[in-house]
Amino acid sequence: MAVLRNTLSLRNQGGGAVLGFVTLLAFSSGIPALAQVPPPPPPVTMAAVPLTKVVRAQQTMVSLNFRVPPGYHINSNTPKSEFLIATALKMDLPTDIILGKIDYPPGEELTFPFSPDEKLSVYAGDFTVAVGVHPMHSVVPGKYVMRGVLRYQACDNAACYPPRTLPVSFEVKVAKEPSSGNKNPAQSPHVHN
Amino acid sequence: MAVVIALGLYVGYHNARRSSSSPTPHLAQSSLAPDFSLEALDGKTMRLSDLRGKAVLLNFWATWCGPCKIEMPWFVELQKHYGSQGLQIVGVAMDDASKEEIGKFAKDMGVNYPILIGKESVGDQYGGVPALPETFLIGRDGKIVDKILGLRGKAEIEDAVRKALDTRPASNQAAASSQATVPAPR
Repeated sequence: MAVLRNTLSLRNQGGGAVLGFVTLLAFSSGIPALAQVPPPPPPVTMAAVPLTKVVRAQQTMVSLNFRVPPGYHINSNTPKSEFLIATALKMDLPTDIILGKIDYPPGEELTFPFSPDEKLSVYAGDFTVAVGVHPMHSVVPGKYVMRGVLRYQACDNAACYPPRTLPVSFEVKVAKEPSSGNKNPAQSPHVHN
Repeated sequence: MAVVIALGLYVGYHNARRSSSSPTPHLAQSSLAPDFSLEALDGKTMRLSDLRGKAVLLNFWATWCGPCKIEMPWFVELQKHYGSQGLQIVGVAMDDASKEEIGKFAKDMGVNYPILIGKESVGDQYGGVPALPETFLIGRDGKIVDKILGLRGKAEIEDAVRKALDTRPASNQAAASSQATVPAPR
């Protein structure tokens, strides 16, 4: 996968200027060019996440809404083959903010022209991943940025593209635990004899 | 000429701006297939130019590529059917999976042609391999006859194979057209 990924990143660093000229020369010189290379798919995108209030010592689920571009699909978090690359969110949270559970939606079970007899578990269109954020009691109240990456691998109806990662970030506002008022009942008087 | 250069720079500029920039180098039909040496699943090194004199179907694939999986049984059949006529199918796994995993996958698929462990540099030689599967048909003279990007019908692949088989080896390569067989994955 790195083989393809690195190749793509190299190509995206300005080889286009050379290519345009070479392509033009190829056209003008009458060299029969091979089939045109299709552009890589547009990336999966994530909608902006509104600032979420999270309370210390509690887990709050934050919803991340992703969109797969039309005409493409990505494997779900639980693809049906060990060889397929699962969509997975990896978070790297600030100190003392614990990553809780990550809830992935079930994949849509679809068949594709390249796999007519086998249903694949995929995400297409919009899907939501919920992330548990659990600030410890020691966290100073305030705003914190949560960062991570969504790794996925996209295909269309006829081809598959190298795995990619989408940077993910959202902000939470950590608040103190609600005051408990007279939470602790008066202690029974101890009798000391 | 100035207009051509200006137009070339304009096209190039826009290509560079697009995240979907096309690969370099741009392989033209009838250009010599870039030579490479890669390790096969059996640990031996295979050089493309050693196959000169044969028609070669060079298939870039990966274990995570569903469409690639569909083609593989077709390639098995094509190798069986046209092998005696001088077809050699070669798979190049553009994969981060281990050699063992790739070998297991190939074995499960019943692959009867050599599988090589791909490298980024070889992908670059072949235009960057932006998507999989990607297949090059190489004539007996070592020149690229056709390229098939993405999953197409078996008939289309077979037509391209016939086109590659119809080529003639370069005169000084005729002797190199040995009947030696290439080992399939173990």
